[in-house]
Amino acid sequence: MELVLANHSSYPRVGASREQQRLRRAYAQRERGEISADDFNRIQDSVVAEVIEEQAHAGCELLTDGQIRWVDSISHLAARLDQVEINGLLRYFDTNFYFRQPVIKGRVAGNGPLVVEEFRYARAVSPRPIKPVLTGPYTLAASSIRETPLYRDLPTLVLDLSEVLAQEVRALAGAGAEVIQVEEPAILKHPKDLRLLHKALKLLSQAKGSSQLALYTYFADATPLYESLQELPVDILGLDFTYAPRLPETIARLGSRKTLGLGLIDGRNTRMEAAPQVFPILEKILPRLSGGIAYLNPSCGLEYLPRDKAVAKLRLMKELRDTFLQRGKR
Amino acid sequence: MSRAKLEKLGLTLPLLPTSTVGSFPKPDYLLQARARFARKEIAQKELEALEKRATEFWVQQQEEIGLDVLVDGEQYRGDMVAYFADIMPGFRMGGLVRSYGNRYYHKPIIVGEIRWPGPMTVKWWKFAQGLTSKPIKGMLTGPYTIMDWSFNDYYTDRKSACLALAGAIRKEVETLVEAGAKVIQIDEPALSVRPEELPFAIEAMQMVTDGVPAYFITHICYGAFEFIYPRMLRFPVHNFDLEMSNSGLDLIGLFKKHPFNKDLSFGVLDVHSHKIESSALVKERIEKALQVIPKEALWVDPDCGLKTRTVEEAQGKLRSMVAAVKEIRQALDKTPKRKQRRIEVGSVVKKRRKKIRKHKYKKMRRRMRHKKK
Ligand SMILES: [Zn+2]
Repeated sequence: MELVLANHSSYPRVGASREQQRLRRAYAQRERGEISADDFNRIQDSVVAEVIEEQAHAGCELLTDGQIRWVDSISHLAARLDQVEINGLLRYFDTNFYFRQPVIKGRVAGNGPLVVEEFRYARAVSPRPIKPVLTGPYTLAASSIRETPLYRDLPTLVLDLSEVLAQEVRALAGAGAEVIQVEEPAILKHPKDLRLLHKALKLLSQAKGSSQLALYTYFADATPLYESLQELPVDILGLDFTYAPRLPETIARLGSRKTLGLGLIDGRNTRMEAAPQVFPILEKILPRLSGGIAYLNPSCGLEYLPRDKAVAKLRLMKELRDTFLQRGKR
Repeated sequence: MSRAKLEKLGLTLPLLPTSTVGSFPKPDYLLQARARFARKEIAQKELEALEKRATEFWVQQQEEIGLDVLVDGEQYRGDMVAYFADIMPGFRMGGLVRSYGNRYYHKPIIVGEIRWPGPMTVKWWKFAQGLTSKPIKGMLTGPYTIMDWSFNDYYTDRKSACLALAGAIRKEVETLVEAGAKVIQIDEPALSVRPEELPFAIEAMQMVTDGVPAYFITHICYGAFEFIYPRMLRFPVHNFDLEMSNSGLDLIGLFKKHPFNKDLSFGVLDVHSHKIESSALVKERIEKALQVIPKEALWVDPDCGLKTRTVEEAQGKLRSMVAAVKEIRQALDKTPKRKQRRIEVGSVVKKRRKKIRKHKYKKMRRRMRHKKK
């Protein structure tokens, strides 16, 4: 079984040093009109390159651009759509992070590419494959205020958003993405909408071409939904183990027809995982997986950690994986 | 319903006591001094003198505006969790984490056993109480919120970290009471975030308040109340202080379904808005609250701490609030006895009382079972 080290999605954009805080300063300078949009973009580009380098150096094998350009995982996409305005701050699930809430004023429509240019840049500066990340149509819709009678019910909005995102999936596949990650944390709290999610993902899946579609959920226990998640039209299933004490048993019992993204490294806490916590789970579930490959990744985006801890988690992931595989050989 | 508790503590408060959630804006001279202190340009003593000056200003302001239960204004605190994490052994300050947009904060890390370092807030409480004859609230952050807003490298899980914090906060509560504090507010803005953790959050608060002769308030910011209500009524405090004006008052609907059986500090001022509410608007909000909460159980305050507003905005908002409360008090006084009863004991309220009796009975039985064990 091949165990690939993957980053999840976001990555801390500032660190402890003055140099590592240049993007924070640039935001403020741009707001005050002290630097041009070009200057600002150059700084953003350099930070994307820096965090890609940092992930690669820590031993990560499937990288992300760290979502460095994203204000948050909701408004970054929503703000680029027609008929969407961006409102005040709202707590992002159970984190201490706040996103700007979209207000849907009319029929949503794409207005050009969303993240494909970001992907192209990241890929150009990266020594390893880059995984583009999209927030899924269900989570986007569930996080929005629907102000138009067109979307009196949630499903219509979810499906319209799916069509917009399907175009993006097509563009990303065309640009050479091998794995495209779609994040749907919101579905875990609303299992009754799984059929709706199925329809939505089908639209995305039809656009994926030869790339693999990964569905990542987090911030709640996916165990009760595990069997239903296996039915969804995606190739990879990313799971957050930090909320799910019974998930390893469930996987050991039911196996998996899909490639799994194993979120065994806590992206929300600074404590470093130890082998005795992680290895028994790997031993239990790896033999039950098909396809010969699994991803080892943090449980969620790493931006909830300070930079020094985020990179330490990636290094730890490599250390654990290498030790685990060597142990198996002996 | 906790009027008796207040009287037992020797506190006589008017109907609809007015108060605030805790923090007030820091005057410019103090903001500058804090920045200079951070750059090590001035000594602790110099900073503290200015913190005292600002505290005096706010105590005097609260008296002048006519509030009933005062606060020290937290002129000496920055973040409500970091303040305690900075002082308590067991914590280390972590690196920067983004909270939204381009905003970052240092998130504390629990790296060892948490202990109570001796009084953390008592000196300031005494200082503020020395300036007024009105009661000053003791102001603490609750164990669940300190745990949730920190990383945890040391304790095996979130619950043990939370209970360890409860032990330390309990000692602070006891010390405040020894010093003379009768009203203590313990903020738990994170409480509604993970409904599945409510049981141990309640256990922790039980450790903090159990058997302590004080009137306890807890402030919770608007969150997913629908998931923890009515279970949150088991939280062992006398008064819930909830954000109401910024939530479209939808909690009222919740209270109609499941009667609220504690005192309620009803947030009537939107602390995120620069706009000063008219007293007519505040009055309207209070009157809505009176439809589901008996007047004896209602307190009035802003949604949250006012520290993000300007000094003038904070003053203006509070003046509107106090004016509105005065008018309503007068109206309640003038209302003929029979009509007043009808307002008080509407059908909702009647049902509510029945439920309270039932609830109390259940609680008693639970306690007895506990003792038997
Ligand atoms: Zn608050």
